[in-house]
Amino acid sequence: MKDVGSRAELRRLAERLVKLGKACGADEVEVHVGRGIEFHVDVRLGAVENLVEAGSRSVGFRVIKDRRTASAGSSDLSWPVLERLMKNAVARALLASSDDCAGLPPHSRFKVEASTLGLYDPEVPLLSSRAKIDLALETERIALSDKRITNSHGASFSAHHGGIILANSNGFSGEYEQTYCSLGIGLQAGATDDLAEDGWSSNRRRFRDLESPEAIARKAVERTVRQLNPRKIRTQNVPVVFEQDMTAWLLGFLFGCVSGTAVYQRATFLADKLGRRVAADGITVLDDGLMPGMPGTRPFDAEGVPCRKTAVVEAGILKNFLTNTYAARKLGTDSTGNGDGSGVGPNNFYLVPGRSTPEDIVGSVEKGLLLVRTLGHGLNPVTGDISRGAFGLWIEGGAVAYPVSEVTIAGNLGDILNGIEMIGNDLDFRSAIAGPTLKVAEMTVAGT
Amino acid sequence: MRTKTAAAAVRSLPYVDHFELTEADYRRILGLALARGGDFAEVFCEYRTFGFILMEEDIIKETAESISLGLGIRVLKGEMTGYGYTNEPSWPEIKRAAQTAAAIASGRAARPLSSLKRARSSFRLYPVRVPSHRASLDQKIGLVREAYQTARAHDPKIVKVKAALGDSIQYVNIVNSDGLLIRDVRPLVKLSCSAIAEKDGRKESGYHGGGGRVGLEYFEQTLKPRTIGLEAAGEALRLLEAREAPAGEMPVVLAPGHAGVLIHEAVGHLLEADFHRRKTSVLWDKLGTQVGSGLVTIIDDPTIPGYRGSYNIDDEGTVPRPVLLIEKGKAVGLLQDFLTARFFKAAPTGHGRREDYSFWPLPRMSNIYIAAGPHDPGEIIGSVRKGFYAEQFQGGQVEDSGKFTFSVSSGYLIEDGRLTAPVKQATLIGSNIDILKKVEMVGSDLKFSLQTGTCSKDGQDVPVSDGCPTLKIARMTVGGLA
Repeated sequence: MKDVGSRAELRRLAERLVKLGKACGADEVEVHVGRGIEFHVDVRLGAVENLVEAGSRSVGFRVIKDRRTASAGSSDLSWPVLERLMKNAVARALLASSDDCAGLPPHSRFKVEASTLGLYDPEVPLLSSRAKIDLALETERIALSDKRITNSHGASFSAHHGGIILANSNGFSGEYEQTYCSLGIGLQAGATDDLAEDGWSSNRRRFRDLESPEAIARKAVERTVRQLNPRKIRTQNVPVVFEQDMTAWLLGFLFGCVSGTAVYQRATFLADKLGRRVAADGITVLDDGLMPGMPGTRPFDAEGVPCRKTAVVEAGILKNFLTNTYAARKLGTDSTGNGDGSGVGPNNFYLVPGRSTPEDIVGSVEKGLLLVRTLGHGLNPVTGDISRGAFGLWIEGGAVAYPVSEVTIAGNLGDILNGIEMIGNDLDFRSAIAGPTLKVAEMTVAGT
Repeated sequence: MRTKTAAAAVRSLPYVDHFELTEADYRRILGLALARGGDFAEVFCEYRTFGFILMEEDIIKETAESISLGLGIRVLKGEMTGYGYTNEPSWPEIKRAAQTAAAIASGRAARPLSSLKRARSSFRLYPVRVPSHRASLDQKIGLVREAYQTARAHDPKIVKVKAALGDSIQYVNIVNSDGLLIRDVRPLVKLSCSAIAEKDGRKESGYHGGGGRVGLEYFEQTLKPRTIGLEAAGEALRLLEAREAPAGEMPVVLAPGHAGVLIHEAVGHLLEADFHRRKTSVLWDKLGTQVGSGLVTIIDDPTIPGYRGSYNIDDEGTVPRPVLLIEKGKAVGLLQDFLTARFFKAAPTGHGRREDYSFWPLPRMSNIYIAAGPHDPGEIIGSVRKGFYAEQFQGGQVEDSGKFTFSVSSGYLIEDGRLTAPVKQATLIGSNIDILKKVEMVGSDLKFSLQTGTCSKDGQDVPVSDGCPTLKIARMTVGGLA
């Protein structure tokens, strides 16, 4: 499929919009252009169910006038429309309030070379539709060949390639190209009235790094059937083992609590904890935008600030909050390169792995819960409180005994981080937020 | 609930076809889409503008305006869907999207195209006197400030407030190979406020808001910004005094209104017809059978004027109708879109919805509610010796297996038939059939929840609302700390 609007054209458009904003009277202007081609196929029970392929592009910008900010966006890239939006934005800015912290980041002499970051796999745009459909079909075929599987939610292959262009009136102009692809499947096992469901997917920037259809199907089957015939348990306080994806979920909540936006708004229980112990000794959490080939890697953030590596928690001590330019000014620091849209987002945000194997960790638990999935809302960054529906496997005598259903886990993120007793060696960046298997000393597991 | 002003108001919003496509163009696109033997083709054109105002830290921090323009082309071949879209309104791009969608089929163009017939919905569901997208920014900033300042000034313990107004106007134009050509212009507005209260180092948050497919007069007549601010601050303050939620299995009483999310999660999703076509819903083999207590009747109604989930036509151009899903405990209806209705040889119910032009439609809920029952709300609470009263909800999630959770942000203990200590942050977990069977009492006090809800399915967000009367569930697992 041909690209939508050439890179050079869109870069010129971005730079032209910066000039237009200045001409309209803005003190500062930032223009962001995204373009991409999306491919997605769902197959189910051996046949294609949905097939979509499309290209799109959009522009977003922000203007600052007298320290007042307004923003705008459009997927209609015709010049008269953009001109009108720009004029409206400058006029609208004057209706907002003056804010000393508003404004673009200062120009940085430091620059990250995008080509060294492994963001783009030339193989992804070249994959034929047939090959992509066949991978999904093959994954489902292997999974369904297991007789314990009773129904399929379908298998999917997705691919994306596209680029980000950013230009601002402080002299920044940059761009990078990137790819993503993913292959996954969702399954059901058991009878209609006692269904277990789960699945597995592999998400990578490089096509050759995807797990094979066999590996994905095998994992999806295993994850689904292990939840068959669950039992209810009594409410009790026990050790809880977090599988990798559950650690990632916990870290996602932690990210929200160390985001500079939440900190300056005092909407996080960690706001006053900088330099203090917030987690067990062995815990180190980093945000690193420069790890080659990883999902959250990028040369610069949404404001053009070069990405870097930031220690968030080091040996249990809270070292840094993650910020965009605005939150950094509010907190009197420098941006950590975590600008994302109008807020703060993760680069590669992860918990540094330890030495234990996941088997050792489960083996160390006399009686407890292996947490495999959660359901629902129930995270409160203001207090750190967690309360979620949970799916898990009951551990007895250091081995998985049976699945449990209709349980909830409840606790507080601060207590959980301080209660981490073992850290797995199995870090795998399935998404930009990742962590290894963990054992937490005690949480409330509510059952009957 | 029907209003006379609605029709006039909608006529005042002129439809603008931003792709400047003529009927001949549409026929040509449909021809390209069906060139490889697809059996149905559809063009969905959308132009939408969004506005947003945010106030926090005592200042109007940001305003935004955005435009979304795009066209999606869908081709069906049996149960298969081919989809292409573009946001570049040029003939080569539209043609490419049509050819992409066409490629789901492989054969010859099967049938000649019928001529297009302009259709109109029988509904005028958007009672708008003062269209938000046309109102001055000053007027809208005034509403945001009022909500913000009311919350801020309510109590010295309120340490942080955030208020926001978001509005949009969506023009859709739907054309299909059955000859349908139909349009809708959908307004949507939401004003919301969140507040954080702090005392002795403890912090709690509260939220309130409202809106719908209405005009700004709603915030004078139905829900004042002042009320939104007061309610948000009040909830945060109440939670400061709340204790930890109890844990374990116990009787649960759901407050009227907010608990509609339970009906949405526990029942609504499982009666969306795509999950029945695939037989993944736990209810797929239970239509016509008793699945719950005879007290339970559930309806999804896209035709309630002004509600967030309402529409004159769905995103496939079908004129919607209310669907009786559960009648006295028996599963009797499904929410259908075009594809599932064709599969089940049923009539579409007008529940095919999509987030925007880049997605194909799916069967979705609109405004779902459980009908009022025979019991007095006081009598319901009075019947519980020891249990949990769930009052405010953050949201919920369900799996096809029927297992669901929902998060209660605040509630009360019930002791000896009375509401006693306020409690915070609990999770209710269960499976849908189990809960439906355990509904013991249904109040006479049907209420809808805040008009601020959004439902996510397969990565697509659509505005919805839900309602319910006071409900008593005999036993349910509550996950808390205490």
